[in-house]
Amino acid sequence: MERRPPRTTAARAAALLAAAGLALTACAPGSGNDDGGGGSAGPTGPVETDISGLGDVTLTVWDQEVRGGQDEQMTQLNDAFTAQYPNVTIERVSQSFDDLSTTLRLALTGDDAPDVVQTNNARATMGQFVEAGQLVPLDAWAEEYGWRDRYPESVLQYSTYSDDGAVFGEGSLYGLPQVGEVVGVYYSRSALEGLGLEVPTTWDEMSVAAEAAAASGLTPMLLGNIEGWPAGHVFGVVQGATVDPAEITELGLGNPGASWTSPENVEALTTLASWQEQGWFNEGVNGTEYDAAWQQLTQGQGLFLIAGSWLAPDIEAAMGEDAGFFAPPPAEGAEGVATTGGTGIPFAMTTAAEERDVAAAYIDFITSDDAMQVLADTGNLPVVDTASYAPESGLLADVYTAFDEVSTQGSLLPYLDYATPTMGETLNQTLQGLLAGEVTPEQAAEALEADYAEFTSSGG
Amino acid sequence: MAADRTAEGAVATATAAATGAAAPRRRPLQPHGRATPYLLAAPALLLYGAFLLFPLARAVQYSLYDFDGLTVGTFVGLDNYVAVVADEGLRQAFGHALVLVLFFSVIPVVVGLALAALLTRAPVRGLPAFRTVVFLPQVIAMVVVAVAWRRIYAPDGPLNTALRAVGLDGLARTWLGDFGTALPAVGLIGTWVSTGLATVLLMAGMARVPRELYEASSLDGAGPVRQLVAITLPSVRPEMAVALVLTTITALKTFDLVYVTTGGGPGTSTTVPSYEVYRRAFELGQVGSAAAVGVVLTVLVLLVTVVVTRVVDPSRRDER
Amino acid sequence: MSAPTTSRPASPAAAGPARGPSRGSLAQRLVASAVLLVAAAAALGPVLVVLAAALGPESPAAGGGLHPENFAAAWEQGRFGEYLQTSALVAVVVVTVATVASVLSGYAFGTMDFRGREVLFLLVLLGIMVPAEAVVVPLFFDLRTLGLTDTIWGIALPQIAQSIAFGTFWMRAHFRTTDRSLMEAARLDGAGPVRILVSVLVPVARPAITTLVLLSFLWTWNDFLVPLVMAPSAQLRTAPLGLALFQGQYTQGTALLAAGAVLVALPVVVVYLLLQRHVIRGMVEGAVRG
Repeated sequence: MERRPPRTTAARAAALLAAAGLALTACAPGSGNDDGGGGSAGPTGPVETDISGLGDVTLTVWDQEVRGGQDEQMTQLNDAFTAQYPNVTIERVSQSFDDLSTTLRLALTGDDAPDVVQTNNARATMGQFVEAGQLVPLDAWAEEYGWRDRYPESVLQYSTYSDDGAVFGEGSLYGLPQVGEVVGVYYSRSALEGLGLEVPTTWDEMSVAAEAAAASGLTPMLLGNIEGWPAGHVFGVVQGATVDPAEITELGLGNPGASWTSPENVEALTTLASWQEQGWFNEGVNGTEYDAAWQQLTQGQGLFLIAGSWLAPDIEAAMGEDAGFFAPPPAEGAEGVATTGGTGIPFAMTTAAEERDVAAAYIDFITSDDAMQVLADTGNLPVVDTASYAPESGLLADVYTAFDEVSTQGSLLPYLDYATPTMGETLNQTLQGLLAGEVTPEQAAEALEADYAEFTSSGG
Repeated sequence: MAADRTAEGAVATATAAATGAAAPRRRPLQPHGRATPYLLAAPALLLYGAFLLFPLARAVQYSLYDFDGLTVGTFVGLDNYVAVVADEGLRQAFGHALVLVLFFSVIPVVVGLALAALLTRAPVRGLPAFRTVVFLPQVIAMVVVAVAWRRIYAPDGPLNTALRAVGLDGLARTWLGDFGTALPAVGLIGTWVSTGLATVLLMAGMARVPRELYEASSLDGAGPVRQLVAITLPSVRPEMAVALVLTTITALKTFDLVYVTTGGGPGTSTTVPSYEVYRRAFELGQVGSAAAVGVVLTVLVLLVTVVVTRVVDPSRRDER
Repeated sequence: MSAPTTSRPASPAAAGPARGPSRGSLAQRLVASAVLLVAAAAALGPVLVVLAAALGPESPAAGGGLHPENFAAAWEQGRFGEYLQTSALVAVVVVTVATVASVLSGYAFGTMDFRGREVLFLLVLLGIMVPAEAVVVPLFFDLRTLGLTDTIWGIALPQIAQSIAFGTFWMRAHFRTTDRSLMEAARLDGAGPVRILVSVLVPVARPAITTLVLLSFLWTWNDFLVPLVMAPSAQLRTAPLGLALFQGQYTQGTALLAAGAVLVALPVVVVYLLLQRHVIRGMVEGAVRG
């Protein structure tokens, strides 16, 4: 401190503070980041697939497989893995999708970063982590284990980024999903029969069924959207029935060349808003919880629920034989069905992983053929050779059929929140506003376009 | 918990500043040794400097960078602050905070005044028990409060059930999911939390007022309203200032309540500054911008404290 | 613990209404009683809603009647046993360290004259007002560099600093008003500063210290933002944080969530009910005392 006496106590305190500020090391924030295992890309040496000789290793795995059937498969596979490799201990941390997205960003750059983690394919998460050098490209192990033969390219593209994170859909492989996903329509068989109707195969029949349900006092479409993202899945279905799949893919991957303000997209947004206006949804969708909505279906309070296949184990457990599932009807005049879906959230390896061969072996193990069988047995939808695991009957049989139908004859469209780092949020807020009548379909289209255009014009 | 360290401390600081904090009331002891006071204060000052003052300076530094929390930041000067002012979403968030101030602060103080005045003028049995009960919401963790109210506001929750029971089906709605009602619904939770604190504070203030004053003015023919304006309000100015500052800061800092009840939704109708700090830093990866919002929030807290204290209680004197 | 009487008059907050001839007419008192009951009901209502939900059936299948087993289920499924332990540990660390440091520094600031005293104290006052939201972001990155995130210390240290700011202010205000003659006498007997503090000042300051301990405990137990940010890897969760995440994870109904909420609030409510006079006095005086 200098000796010149400042005039007042306050001035002196301010001077002290200023000095403290100046004394801050002149390094920019983030330069002290711990980048785990040196942040190097790929394996630290030649790939070793036999990990039993690598000594005692603790592998930290973070997943979001918290629902019944998901949790079960994870537990079984982890047990099987440690039985096969007694030298490996697995530390599993399981959190809901929302919580994992939040905590992962904080944890990734720290000392306690997990070795293997489930991270959403979106640019907001996987894309940013790739850009920041927090994830290990898996190409070397893919080569060794033959992952590219195991998985079709259409699946792998969703966990593929260029090494700077700018291009989505081509480049290095950063993760492997376990399950397939398809967004479709759950329904109550008894409710549909009670209305004297068959499973709708066209959008006109969907309308008829919805109107009939409304007339009989049943909620036609159950939706719990307090979290914001569930409406995005409903919109994905509507959009798939209205907009060209190629355009949706561009919009979904955040690649330039498409437009949210095209007449077709506005039409899709208008359709979603009209469902709300016609009273097809339950009262107060924005105040209803996601899980409450499917529980209402199981309690016989509604006819349809547009949601992802991951709910099937829970719904089947609660409804048994009464639950059914079908892929949304195709767009008028279109060949196949187009709906949101594709892959579950992929497992990736972080640069904090010191024993990378062990991490890779683990990822290989939980996506192997045996693992697919475990997934099927626990009510999940294996992403590889899905049809061959289909059960005889029941809700899961419907889900397998729908997934097979869409993936072989239709188009599985990317989740729209993949597109830009902020698109998930923009989509949530915009659709909540649209469903509440706060914004018009045109304004909604403009809000989404603004987000997409800002990102694509800045070169990703 | 509503009135936390920041709120309590802010009031304390304002008081201390107004009453000449630095003048000790008693003659200090002759020091034992020159180093003694420094040694005694060292643990506190070191911990406090390292984990509060230093991070504050760091926050100012961060706010001058474009930093995503993953890679090294780049210096951008005051850009983040310019963006704070220009960003409509952020302006909205600060606007929501002001609405919450009405619910957290103004309504509770008005209600608290009425309650305290009534209970002071007409003492009834059970006041100590009453004080314990109305103060209870203050000590319960905000997360627990939020879980409780989420239940109350749920589509099939007690509130809607009660409305339907009395035939007001038209009023039943998803309170936290409706653009028109979400923010007031969150605000009402704050009203519930703060009213007890305001009441207890004001009762303490009114207990100081000598009864003779009321008796004398009664003889002069003054009614209860005039007594309130002429005698009670001037006497409880310190407590009113304290109640207003405590609850206003709580409103400005609301985080856990929004995090648990609405997550800022529906749309952006319940975003607040502290939630924006968290969201930007840890969900969107805009750490520099988050720090700037945090710094602005700090300045706002300082301003509110000083202004409210000066306006409500200009003659701040140490009575005890 | 019973507080020994001090030379300080009992604060108005803790005293009943002013004594003297009761002036309210019967009608006034009836109105007041009614208002008092309504206000108390409004304050208790939401608490009772949670209690009722916690004791209600977990699913329609569970049937009517009371279901205390929900608490056991929440304890198990929501891992509340573990979270409450973490909370208790953090609270003990924060309260102990912050109280000891505050008593020492309050002693220095309140009874001694030294160079830079005003400046340093003004800095303390400034820091008291800084909301955690402002410092939590850089704190996270710096603590991470030090390897302290996801540890008890990562959660405790920021809260220790906040409690020290308030505690220093609080103890200084108390020691400033302490009778000097006792201290002088002890000095003449040759007692050093530490002995004077321990044998003369602390016994007299017990009520003030009790209040400080209580407030620190409440603030620490109920804090949400610091534990949320400082322990991202989910290995270390305090009870309120566990509750918020239980809400996102647990998908089957509301009874267990409500039971978890009761478990999280219970320790604080019990402490409050036992020592409410100290708590209320602290909240009221901490703010009003200059």
